Amino acid sequence: MCGIIGYTGHRAANEVLIESLKRLEYRGYDSAGIAIIGEKLQTFKEVGEIEALQYTIPKIKGNLGIGHTRWATHGKVSKENAHPHLSCDSKIAIVHNGIIENFRVLREELEAKGHTFTSQTDSEIIAHLIEDEYEGNLEKAVFSSIKKIKGSFAFVAICEDEPEKLVGARNESPLIVGVGDNENFLASDVTALLKFTNRVFYLDDGEFCTVTKDSIHIFDRDNTEIQKEENMIEWDFNDAKKSGFPHFMLKEIYEQSDSVQRVLRGRISEIDRSIDLPDKVENLLNDAINSIHIVACGTSLYSGLVGKYLIEKITNIPVFVEISSEYKYFGIKNSSSLVVFITQSGETADTLSALKKAKNAGSRTIVVTNVIGSTATRIADGFVLTQCGPEIGVAATKTFTSQILTLLLIALKIAVVRKQLGTDEIYNYIRSLKNVPRQIRQVLAQSDKIADMAKHLKDAKSVFFIGRGVNYPLSLEGALKLKEISYIHAEGFAAGEIKHGPFALLTKDTPVVAIVTRDFTYDKIISNIGEIKARGSKVIAIADEKDTEIEKHLDFVLRFPTNTGLLSCVSITVILQLLAYHVAKLRGCSIDKPRNLAKSVTVE
Amino acid sequence: MKAVILAAGEGKRLRPLTETMPKVMLPVANKPVLEYVFDAVKNSGIDEIVVVVGYKKEVIMEYFKEYEGVEIIYVVQDKQLGTSHALLQTKKHINEPFIVLSGDNIIDQKSISKLIRNESEYSMLVKETLYPSKYGVVTSEKNILKELVEKPPTEKLKRFVSTGIYKLSNSIFDTIENATSQGDYSLSSVVQSTVEQGKKISTILADIWMDIAYPWDILSIDEAMVHNIPSSLGGIIEKGVTLKGRVSIGNNTTVHSGCYIVGPVIIGDGCEIGPNACIFPSTAIGDNSVIHPFSEIRNSVIMNDVHIGSNSFISHSIVGRGSTIGHNFSSMVGKANMEVEGEFKKLENIGAIVGADCSIESHVVIDPGKIIGTRCAIGSMNRIIKNISSNIKVM
Repeated sequence: MCGIIGYTGHRAANEVLIESLKRLEYRGYDSAGIAIIGEKLQTFKEVGEIEALQYTIPKIKGNLGIGHTRWATHGKVSKENAHPHLSCDSKIAIVHNGIIENFRVLREELEAKGHTFTSQTDSEIIAHLIEDEYEGNLEKAVFSSIKKIKGSFAFVAICEDEPEKLVGARNESPLIVGVGDNENFLASDVTALLKFTNRVFYLDDGEFCTVTKDSIHIFDRDNTEIQKEENMIEWDFNDAKKSGFPHFMLKEIYEQSDSVQRVLRGRISEIDRSIDLPDKVENLLNDAINSIHIVACGTSLYSGLVGKYLIEKITNIPVFVEISSEYKYFGIKNSSSLVVFITQSGETADTLSALKKAKNAGSRTIVVTNVIGSTATRIADGFVLTQCGPEIGVAATKTFTSQILTLLLIALKIAVVRKQLGTDEIYNYIRSLKNVPRQIRQVLAQSDKIADMAKHLKDAKSVFFIGRGVNYPLSLEGALKLKEISYIHAEGFAAGEIKHGPFALLTKDTPVVAIVTRDFTYDKIISNIGEIKARGSKVIAIADEKDTEIEKHLDFVLRFPTNTGLLSCVSITVILQLLAYHVAKLRGCSIDKPRNLAKSVTVE
Repeated sequence: MKAVILAAGEGKRLRPLTETMPKVMLPVANKPVLEYVFDAVKNSGIDEIVVVVGYKKEVIMEYFKEYEGVEIIYVVQDKQLGTSHALLQTKKHINEPFIVLSGDNIIDQKSISKLIRNESEYSMLVKETLYPSKYGVVTSEKNILKELVEKPPTEKLKRFVSTGIYKLSNSIFDTIENATSQGDYSLSSVVQSTVEQGKKISTILADIWMDIAYPWDILSIDEAMVHNIPSSLGGIIEKGVTLKGRVSIGNNTTVHSGCYIVGPVIIGDGCEIGPNACIFPSTAIGDNSVIHPFSEIRNSVIMNDVHIGSNSFISHSIVGRGSTIGHNFSSMVGKANMEVEGEFKKLENIGAIVGADCSIESHVVIDPGKIIGTRCAIGSMNRIIKNISSNIKVM
């Protein structure tokens, strides 16, 4: 899991690379490096975040170069293991993202031929392999090298003897070509390039390309040159700036009243009482559906769990939520089920390989993603975009709420197709949906109060989150947010499960966050709270603003605005996000870049 | 050159509209006042804006996240003590002559260019007004400032007042530090004391300068600004829609059959209008709002995310962001005596002023000039004859 960038053009490569690496840092930030060809090939690499390195990187002159920001998978975090990696004669440099599965075999072969390796990484073999194949033409050497490599990769290679040329290759890791005027780029994703261009080509698996400042040639796996469609990206560069907020995460939390609006825009009509999704998706929903599988990882998995409750309630179709890396190997795949994959980046390796397996098994596949043109959208039978703009904070926020609403729209559309909901019910859902942005604003206005509540959690060793029904996956998400950014151990539980085990862990120093909605489980969760209070634990409730009973049962309450049709889950999520944010802030944590985590995980 | 824009204030006189957003974010022809200031500053060639924020700063930062063409730096003023105190917060970002503006007054690009091009070290924009008592009154001789008197006793005379827009050099920060240490936080008095120190301050007449002092000012300023919006038709306009005059309709908006719209009218993105709704001149409808069939709206400002039920009549009224209004709503229009913070104003033609996030059920009538607070709930079949404070339920 890493970010890579290549540049050739009229600007100082040094500056372009650093600027782009800053944008790619969310993909990894334990070490970074650059290689630039000026008079000769020079490299610089160091352990640390780009933010820190940008001042120490020497001003290497040259207009062509490559850069890398690393998140270690093979070999520890060290200067030697940082990219770029060089060939023995130091004339060829490469940056790589992915995992080379047969690197041990290749390394032994190359060592037998006399190559000496300086790092423990799998990536370094690429440089030596290219050197081994090199006969005066870099793209030929790259082409014969990728024939020998097994695994996932996106890499960019440069060679001192051909100082005008970048060669990039892709297999199962993302790589795009950015098109500029008298300059061109290669990068892991669009965010790296937005400052310079919004015109891109997407490479597909097995393809490779040769890029100079005024030409781009793309070849397929048979080395035949192919023509690709140029894409315009609508995200603008400013989307990736903090805009005065102390952290991207906080900015993205505040964006949610706008981002949920973008999910809904053009998809619901109050006057016509209709739900509109892309044609391909609607066609998939038209068929007989016996069951739905939702497949995802991390936060997306939890939005899938929320989706399960929404879809089952609205459509009565059984929903099975599966972890991508498990579903790929063990899940039942057949042609009668609809499989919905959720991935923010559309590049999550675990989810992509599960998607390929399901498609090969004949399942109907839909992807819910934030990135148009991502690998997932090109594999699946249909896709729905969450349309919330780039998310930079490693802890997912706005994409989670947008994913939930996308799943709700899918559920409503299925119900319309199957005539399970009358137009009045659809109208009520649409009205409730339209209340969501306003309710998010109301929650955001309580940020100070939530910050105050965060004081009760900041010194805890462990925090429990509990809820019933749709509040159960929200508890999981609340706990995930807290643990990933504040490093406090946190677990989410279905409230009814506490007494079947977790109770043993509960002490008076374990605060519990209880999500309480006024549904038919209200009395049950109140008695769960009673059980917990009896152990002396502090309980913070997240409760409906119209719930006047709750204060009688506990000391601390945060309020969410009343909404019908399960939709209060969005406001509750925003409270949980702010709570985690404020706890992490009080503890002085690195909120946008939690240790050991990366934004989109493109390794399995 | 850099510009400092003061945008930290709450705007107490503009309650309840400023209870959910700072004054600078109030929409005029579907754009926050502050965006007009940003545009004017950017178009006069300034490349860096230092914005002083405070009250509900996140609303500003979130909105301008996609603003392009100029570097924006945010500086936080925790306590809103006064204008010169606000300016002082930007000291470390300013090391050359700069201009300072308040974010809650609409200003045109030409006036700012005149100010920047003026040769003297210090200069200011002034404007004539009939109501000088709210402002700093300017006395000048041959376009050089003689005296600046803040909020003189009420007198109904046409006078020149300070627009609060200055070109200053960074040596002003010393004067400000002196004044604030003595508990004086107003920029006008700092300017007055620089005059007393013998500095020459040129006065330049501004072309367009508009201040929103009271909630109803939004209606007149909106009327003035909506005239300048060019026609543009986005979204879907169904067959059988009549559009006359300058009408601007945003993307993803649907105007259903049978609607009759007479410009100047601006309708934002993602709205649904009609069928058979009538929208008459000087009306602005914000993003994601829905106007149900057979409703009539004229001379009004409908903010974002508003829902208006069928058969409603809304005229000379303001409906705050996120409010929902049931069917058969009626705003009565007429004369009214308005009271804001102890001041009284007589208005000839005014409808209802509804704060943000209200929920009004069907068949409600609001008397002329009555103000409904934020998050009020009004049950059906009510006639509202007095102002309703925020968070109140009328059964």
